[in-house]
Amino acid sequence: MTTSDAFRLLVPVADSVSVRNTVAHVVDMATNAAEDRPVELHVVDVASTRAVDPDAIEELAAASDLLARVEAWVAEDAGGEPPANLKLVTDVIGAARYLFSPGDYADVLLEYADEQGIDRIVLDPEYNPGGAAPMLRPLTIELALADYEIEIEEAPVARRAQRTVLVRAASLPKYLAVFGASYLFYMLLSSWKPIDFGTGLLTATLVTVLLAPVAFSEQPSFARIGKQTVRMLVYTPYLLKEIAVANLQIAYVVLHPALPIDPEVVELQAAVWGDAAVTTLANSITLTPGTLTVSVTDRAFTIHSLTAGARADLFDGGLERAVRFVFYGRESMAIATPRERGDDGGNSDG
Amino acid sequence: MTPVEWAIVALAALGAFFSGVAAIGIIRLPDVYTRAHAASKSDTLGAVLTIAAAALALETGLSTAKAVFLLVFMFLTNPTAAHAVARAAKDQGIEPWTTENDQ
Amino acid sequence: MVEFATAMLAIAAAFVLFAVVALYRVFVGPTIHDRVIAVNVAGTNTVIAIALVAAAFEESTFLDVALVYALLNFLLSIAFSKFNVEHGGVL
Repeated sequence: MTTSDAFRLLVPVADSVSVRNTVAHVVDMATNAAEDRPVELHVVDVASTRAVDPDAIEELAAASDLLARVEAWVAEDAGGEPPANLKLVTDVIGAARYLFSPGDYADVLLEYADEQGIDRIVLDPEYNPGGAAPMLRPLTIELALADYEIEIEEAPVARRAQRTVLVRAASLPKYLAVFGASYLFYMLLSSWKPIDFGTGLLTATLVTVLLAPVAFSEQPSFARIGKQTVRMLVYTPYLLKEIAVANLQIAYVVLHPALPIDPEVVELQAAVWGDAAVTTLANSITLTPGTLTVSVTDRAFTIHSLTAGARADLFDGGLERAVRFVFYGRESMAIATPRERGDDGGNSDG
Repeated sequence: MTPVEWAIVALAALGAFFSGVAAIGIIRLPDVYTRAHAASKSDTLGAVLTIAAAALALETGLSTAKAVFLLVFMFLTNPTAAHAVARAAKDQGIEPWTTENDQ
Repeated sequence: MVEFATAMLAIAAAFVLFAVVALYRVFVGPTIHDRVIAVNVAGTNTVIAIALVAAAFEESTFLDVALVYALLNFLLSIAFSKFNVEHGGVL
């Protein structure tokens, strides 16, 4: 171990949700320590593939991109002008061998720590290199088992894990909506005896208390739901007509002896936004003539179409317009159709 | 049978026709995506028509309400299920069948 | 002259037949997704058959069975699609 009075910090980073906060924390720690002695801040990315692997180029590029971002963050957190005795070192390590378990990662980190004379390792709480399986011993334990004189610390940053996406602030409309829906569903399945009203009340209360916090991705508004329901009723006959046409077409195709199909996959950039609207459009596309939504990423729909005529209808945008009407009202219908926006799935034979 | 009952049976028979198309479709069509077309569209319409017939045939208000709920549920979930399966197939890299495959 | 209940049961029988036809696709595949779609179709047809039997016998409790079956049928398709892709063919 190299001995020197510099204080050396090692921070392994990966693209996690809390990496930004972890960097902020170590910069804070380093700036404080830099007041009485020189500090070296080592930020490393542990490569999970060997440099000789086919996908290594891509991964190493991502790693150096991340390290470049870390450098920018450090400069930003240090107030644009880092203390003179704070030195930042960034590196990609471990590219020379295969890493599998947290134990392997711990070995690589400790080896580096030994070479560089690291005093303290700070871990991002969401740092999970190689997506290790949960039954393996976590990295913190593997590091603590090492017989080096190194402090291990987990950065005290808020764990912004997936659960924040799931649990939203509860509100009165939310409780009412969940309570109403579960009470109605209970009564629908019950026999309407007096006791059922009581047990239903109990069950609905239980469901509301337990599930209201995870029930909606956005705050429900009864006015908006009411308006959307009315417009949905207007939309339904149009959809039913489209469905009837779709089915006659499918019946013709399926029962025709020669099976006249010409399937093709097309992409559509739909002008709808929000989970409910995108879902409605995706389902409507699936139900209407010759088109089937295969996948949706944000607003890009991947659609499998059965015949050329179906593709032409899709880019004429009738459905998309109708769904916009349901969710955002009459004004939004004026938005141009996909074809007018220049999106015809690279297929203008119509 | 009364004329109303005849109408109900006719509705159910129409539903049976479309469900039959769906069943023949998943046998005849060439790949998973085209079969998903048959499963999502024809089977949904078949289900909706037939369950609507059942809802009309049931007399008490509550069972009609249940049948209508079942209908709406089928209407929402069937396309979603077809979509989930199609996406799983795409993620696994299954190539869609095209007319060129036939030659 | 046919009875109304008999007519409804005959149509229910047709749906059972369609479910059996769909089972052919479950057996031959060739991919897991073909099988899931076919099982979904067979399940939908079963739900419809139960609803028709409920209508024929005026038994609204059968509809509860149909409802739960529809829920399970949906869940099955979703679960199979999820597991099959995201965990590299567990099922």
